[in-house]
Amino acid sequence: MKAAAPKALAAAMALVLAAAACGRKPSGAAGEARPLTIAVIPKGTTHEFWKSIHAGAARAARELGVEIVWKGPQKEDDRAQQITVVEDFVSRGVDGIVLAPLDDRALMRPVRDAAREGIPVVIIDSALQGSDYVSYVATDNRKGGVLAARRLGSLLQGRGRVFVIRYQEGSASTTERETGFLDTVAAEFPGLDILVKDQYAGATTETAYQLAENLIGRFPDVQGVFAPNESSTFGTLRALQESRLAGKVVFVGFDSSPKLVQGLRDGAIHGLVIQDPAKMGYLGVRTMAAHLRGEPVEKVVDTGVVLATRENMDAPGIRSLLVPGLAAIDD
Amino acid sequence: MSRRRARLGRALDVFGPFVGLLLVIALFALIPEVRGRFLRAANFKSVATQSVIVALGALGMTLVIISGGIDLSAASNIALASVVTAYAVNAGAGPLLAVLLGVLTGGLVGLVNGGLVTRLRLVPFIVTMGMMGIARGAAKWIAGNQKIDAPMTWVNELMAKSPRPSWLLLAPGIWVVILLAAALAVLLKHTVFGRHVFAVGSNEATARLCGLRTDGIKVLVYAVSGLFCGLSGVMEFSRLTVGDPTVAVGLELDIIAAVVIGGGSLSGGEGGVLGTMVGVLIMSFLRNGCTMMGWPNYIQEIIIGAIIVAAVALDRLRHRKD
Repeated sequence: MKAAAPKALAAAMALVLAAAACGRKPSGAAGEARPLTIAVIPKGTTHEFWKSIHAGAARAARELGVEIVWKGPQKEDDRAQQITVVEDFVSRGVDGIVLAPLDDRALMRPVRDAAREGIPVVIIDSALQGSDYVSYVATDNRKGGVLAARRLGSLLQGRGRVFVIRYQEGSASTTERETGFLDTVAAEFPGLDILVKDQYAGATTETAYQLAENLIGRFPDVQGVFAPNESSTFGTLRALQESRLAGKVVFVGFDSSPKLVQGLRDGAIHGLVIQDPAKMGYLGVRTMAAHLRGEPVEKVVDTGVVLATRENMDAPGIRSLLVPGLAAIDD
Repeated sequence: MSRRRARLGRALDVFGPFVGLLLVIALFALIPEVRGRFLRAANFKSVATQSVIVALGALGMTLVIISGGIDLSAASNIALASVVTAYAVNAGAGPLLAVLLGVLTGGLVGLVNGGLVTRLRLVPFIVTMGMMGIARGAAKWIAGNQKIDAPMTWVNELMAKSPRPSWLLLAPGIWVVILLAAALAVLLKHTVFGRHVFAVGSNEATARLCGLRTDGIKVLVYAVSGLFCGLSGVMEFSRLTVGDPTVAVGLELDIIAAVVIGGGSLSGGEGGVLGTMVGVLIMSFLRNGCTMMGWPNYIQEIIIGAIIVAAVALDRLRHRKD
């Protein structure tokens, strides 16, 4: 044992020297034939939404013959770690970065640094302040809110008592959905009485559940509810089910998950506005590749929203969005 | 022969922590895909900037661990300090005042930790675990359960990759770490207080019998550690440009891991600034290399876990030799 440690030390030193020697060799000989490398950075890696984006990005990569590197922050939703990931890809010198920023402000500086180093960035899913990026590829969230308001308004025939569960202060995408909903109600369904419109559900299903429960307790005669994302929709669904109002109250939500699809089928949810994350990943990589090949790209690309209802949920175009097939990911 | 072996042993004690770091750097330097990019100065600079937050927390933690304690509230304290700084900047306080407030908030949390540990005679694990929740909750409370957007000031330049003025070469935050690390190393090795911290950590009862005021020393240790966390929080705010109460969840484990990889012993009485800094860099380089390779996060987590166990096992081996 006594001799083992110095030996290890010597071996390590040798290894390092060897590495240093290798490092000096020129390495860019095969540079011309190298395919484009595009880093795709999601907000997290374990949610289904991001897996769909990954699937879309992988499809675009296959079609275009580019390479993608998929890497999210180590902890879901950790702003600081997402900054680190962007910086590391800039250090590596990828050809382009497709980024879903966790924060419209905190990611500004790393994106600007990337642009300064000559690495273009395409923003997907959520907006980023400033203009250091090539293109913004995302759902038109406002349109999603408009679709939800029209569905709710027409089912209630233009009159009734409604509340809006907001998601979280400072979340740009959901705020646009809420605004789209409220504006449309004000313009097209003046007979709808908005009971509550400034209560925030918070980040988790649990907090949304509690808020919805409290609101139902205060307004037991509510006739319509809108929730702007997956967790708030599911929390509200649970609260409606617990208070035996599911199916009686017209409920329109946002996004999809197996539980929400079941709610749609059971008639507890009357409409789900769904985005197309696979298309977002697909168009994000496509837009970046086009830009890198010198083609002009749109500054804003809409990836579309649709309304899923009990009636249309088994139509093939809708079904594939409600229950995304994730087999397309390969890396 | 025996003298040569002793000399080798001493060399190993000094350079031991570096072996792991060199191995990690060598690992990525040998992979042809990223070799050219990984070994660039710009990348080393970027890794150093990324290390600042953990490094500051780990300097304080080194002190706490040497004294035989533990501080689980470090990461929450960082989040709280970052939120307080952002809040102050936003409320119109001068940037310097905001920075001071952030650092002092951290110090206050540390002071309370130390007070509770010594007055209530509770184990540090419990006290700081409680404080972990309290500080995190306070951060969310102050921030109104959301992030605080603060206007850009020179505070945000502390962690900029290209510093102004450019003769600084490295981000000001890195220089702060280097200066404080040197100061803490001197404090630990060459001052009475430093020797007392080691004495308390090695054997508190004996230290007390020798006439040391162990309670006072411990309170001071936690307070200083809190100040380091406060400064780390300021750096976190500088990097994010927003005050985020949910930042750095679980970071206390990275901080503790850095100290332990660097030779700190959770039973107290051992640890060093140099080792801790190397521990911080090992983890940063691993993260950087894994990202450059595009390896999935789980690989990185498994590697870091294995390194923690291996580092401590190696340390044990070295000590059994003595």
